[in-house]
Amino acid sequence: METILKKLRFILDTMLQVNREKACGILEFELKELENIFSLLILGGFVGMPSPPVPLAMELLPYMERELTIMLARSDMAQDPLASLMGILEVD
Amino acid sequence: MSAAFALSLARSGKKVLIASLDPAHNLGDVLGTKLHDKPGKVEANLDALEIDLNSWVKRYLDESREELARTYSYNLTLNLNSFFDIMKYSPGTEEYAMLWAIEHIRCNLAGDYDIVVYDTPPTALSLRFLAMPAISNLWIAELTKLRERILSKRNTITRINPTSVVASSCVDKADDKIYGKLGSIKRRLSDLSSLFCKESYIAVVLNPDVLSVSEAIRIKEELDRIDIPLSGLCLNKRGVSTTAWTLDRSLAASPLFEFDFIPKGLHKRDDLASIDTKDLVADFLATKS
Repeated sequence: METILKKLRFILDTMLQVNREKACGILEFELKELENIFSLLILGGFVGMPSPPVPLAMELLPYMERELTIMLARSDMAQDPLASLMGILEVD
Repeated sequence: MSAAFALSLARSGKKVLIASLDPAHNLGDVLGTKLHDKPGKVEANLDALEIDLNSWVKRYLDESREELARTYSYNLTLNLNSFFDIMKYSPGTEEYAMLWAIEHIRCNLAGDYDIVVYDTPPTALSLRFLAMPAISNLWIAELTKLRERILSKRNTITRINPTSVVASSCVDKADDKIYGKLGSIKRRLSDLSSLFCKESYIAVVLNPDVLSVSEAIRIKEELDRIDIPLSGLCLNKRGVSTTAWTLDRSLAASPLFEFDFIPKGLHKRDDLASIDTKDLVADFLATKS
């Protein structure tokens, strides 16, 4: 009986986690977009976009490792950003 | 003019520091002493220094480089490091170095003096560094708003799914280094903005000719745009030319102080004392009190 209960709990936990992951998918996508925009605003001056004075960017740069990694990953999928969004929305 | 003003204040009993911000310094020549990046005694009550902009740019870039090396993984640092060699030529770097030099004087040196006089560089560079706090604060405000949205989004994701990779990043404003850095830059720039807008007596020196008056009008317009009041106008070299000129009405709101042309020129410190800055000093002291 105890084993069955354990298995049931495991199945319920897994279902709950799957739903959590699904619920967060869109939010995480939005978050990455915001972080990407933040990086582009800070470092846009290097590629000719309007940006804050370069010394401001230099002061923030040391703390932007995560944002830089996301920006580089975003540039890899820049050719087809819709595919990623459609994947999250489960549109076939 | 600023040297004569500082000398006059010092000889009236005030303890004065005069700092030259001009990259092409000549303050030491006119005061008759060699000046450095640290205050040096010129005479009783008067100390002077010439800001070494190159060393401030280097100090600022070195600090960023060290911070970067501390925070980043080895490879990333290696790639970004190469940027620093060319950063000193980036637009804005010189103006920022000047701001941090002024901040250094304000925080670490000004306490020892009654008055700090700045001998500013030519118009273009002066206007750029005076405008820098206002412009930067606009950017800081927008970046701070965006950062708050990012942190709020991270917080929501962490609450819904504590096992998300986002949960391992900063979710609180208090822990987020970028948010903290934006706040500290904002505070530093607001302090400088307050120094320029509320605590300074800014005087523009002009010559008695049409071109110089036109330049003064443009300086006034630019200062108005960044909310820095023009406290006084110093008409230098009165009598040097007989060509007709008039002061524009837009400059009439600021008091005008006139200084005669000295045909012999200025060769030594005591020659500065022959410039009659009495009215300018009186107006400054009245404004200060």
